[in-house]
Amino acid sequence: MNFTVMLEQLGNGMLKSLGIFLLTLVFSLPLGLLISFGRMSKNKLLQNIVKIYISIMRGTPLMLQLLVVYFGPYYLFGMRIGGSYRFIAIIVGFALNYAAYFAEIYRSGIESMPVGQYEAAQVLGYSKTQCFFRIIFPQVVKRILPSITNEVITLVKDTSLSFSLAYAEMFTIAKQIAASETTFIPFVVAGIFYYVFNLVVAVTMEKIEKKLSYYQ
Amino acid sequence: MKKRVFAVMTVAAVAASMAAGSVCMAEERTTFTVGFDAEYPPYGYMDENGEYTGFDLELAQAVCDMQGWELVKTPIDWDSKDMELNSGAIDCIWNGFTLNGREDDYTWSVPYVDNSQVIVVSETAGIEDLAGLEGKIVGVQAASAALDLLSDGGDQADLAATFGTLQQFPEYNSAFIELQAGSIDAIAMDIGVAQYQLKEKEGFKILDEALNSEQYAIGFRLGDEELCNTVNDSLFALLEDGTFDELAEKYELTDMVCLGDELTEAVADEEVVETETEVAAE
Repeated sequence: MNFTVMLEQLGNGMLKSLGIFLLTLVFSLPLGLLISFGRMSKNKLLQNIVKIYISIMRGTPLMLQLLVVYFGPYYLFGMRIGGSYRFIAIIVGFALNYAAYFAEIYRSGIESMPVGQYEAAQVLGYSKTQCFFRIIFPQVVKRILPSITNEVITLVKDTSLSFSLAYAEMFTIAKQIAASETTFIPFVVAGIFYYVFNLVVAVTMEKIEKKLSYYQ
Repeated sequence: MKKRVFAVMTVAAVAASMAAGSVCMAEERTTFTVGFDAEYPPYGYMDENGEYTGFDLELAQAVCDMQGWELVKTPIDWDSKDMELNSGAIDCIWNGFTLNGREDDYTWSVPYVDNSQVIVVSETAGIEDLAGLEGKIVGVQAASAALDLLSDGGDQADLAATFGTLQQFPEYNSAFIELQAGSIDAIAMDIGVAQYQLKEKEGFKILDEALNSEQYAIGFRLGDEELCNTVNDSLFALLEDGTFDELAEKYELTDMVCLGDELTEAVADEEVVETETEVAAE
């Protein structure tokens, strides 16, 4: 296999990794916010359920969660799986896992807001929803952005875990090429790809951070 | 909370609709999904152009052409092969899959390759036979036939007891890198794969003394006789029209293929008997 073909193959794998990355963010960022509401809810039952959920998601390996989501329907309900379910399972697994981490990040941001702001908003006649989305949330986003960047960068690298479901993303392909060509080069190339991917993510996040620091 | 319940239900619904889809497929088969380890040359691997190929996959393609099925090549993680098969994600495991020791776990096709498990060592290590492995670190692929052989209850468990450590690897490439780097002393593996690796690499040799001899066959879900029989028939048809031997030659496996050998052997045995009777008559 010449170098161009290898790059092309890894490039295709990269697109699949990118697909996992984007879809995971699309689902887990809003889901994380919902979960953080549950975590901060006054309803003790709901709060405890969410606590257990977060505890399990953070306390077990993501690879294991992926296997459970993919093979679970068969072992629990005897359903036949196959076809595109492999990809769906990966997205569901990633989104559920990352939502748990994002929920705690949201909570850290929301709970750091001084009570005085809520009181002031109430005096000015804002409803609770208005207060949250117009006053609190924009500040929360600014505060938690560095933590979110951390998680997002981890996510880029975690996409490689979908090799455990043999989904043909970049790392899986790098392993396959390495096996058939009996060389180490695909891993080096894959490493560079991941690094560049993360560099782009880091630079983008930094730009967003700068844009949001409109009071400085 | 409601949203999550909804999410779970959506997933369940998607899974159910897929299950329904695959049931429909079972009635009239249009696709044939082969599960294979894409890191297992020359049986299944990624070729120069980035396509999955290999002796087993080309053979599967030939069977599909004959039956009018569409071949779906699904690379799997070897550790999860049973889950993939039982859950219906794949129709069979066809990838240098050792029959011996797993007879009761799958519905098996006719064996088509005679394989043996061998030990690969560095030429300079001074290991000449199996006894020389005493106290050494031996690498083996996880969930492989070689591992079964060397684990408790396997035929070579006593030999394995003399090893320093039995180190498991996800695939052979990293095992070879470790062997090259000197962090392990030997690798237990299938002879076909060993020969492929040794073609590309220098400084290694295969010990003359093999761990065992065994056969490759295609593993179907237990009880899936119908599919198994269809594939068997196709295999014999491919043997007859020469396609099978052509493929074996292409992948340099001519010495190892054994499809239909039992028949020839049976014929040979009869001849021997006849000669003996003649001798006796004289």
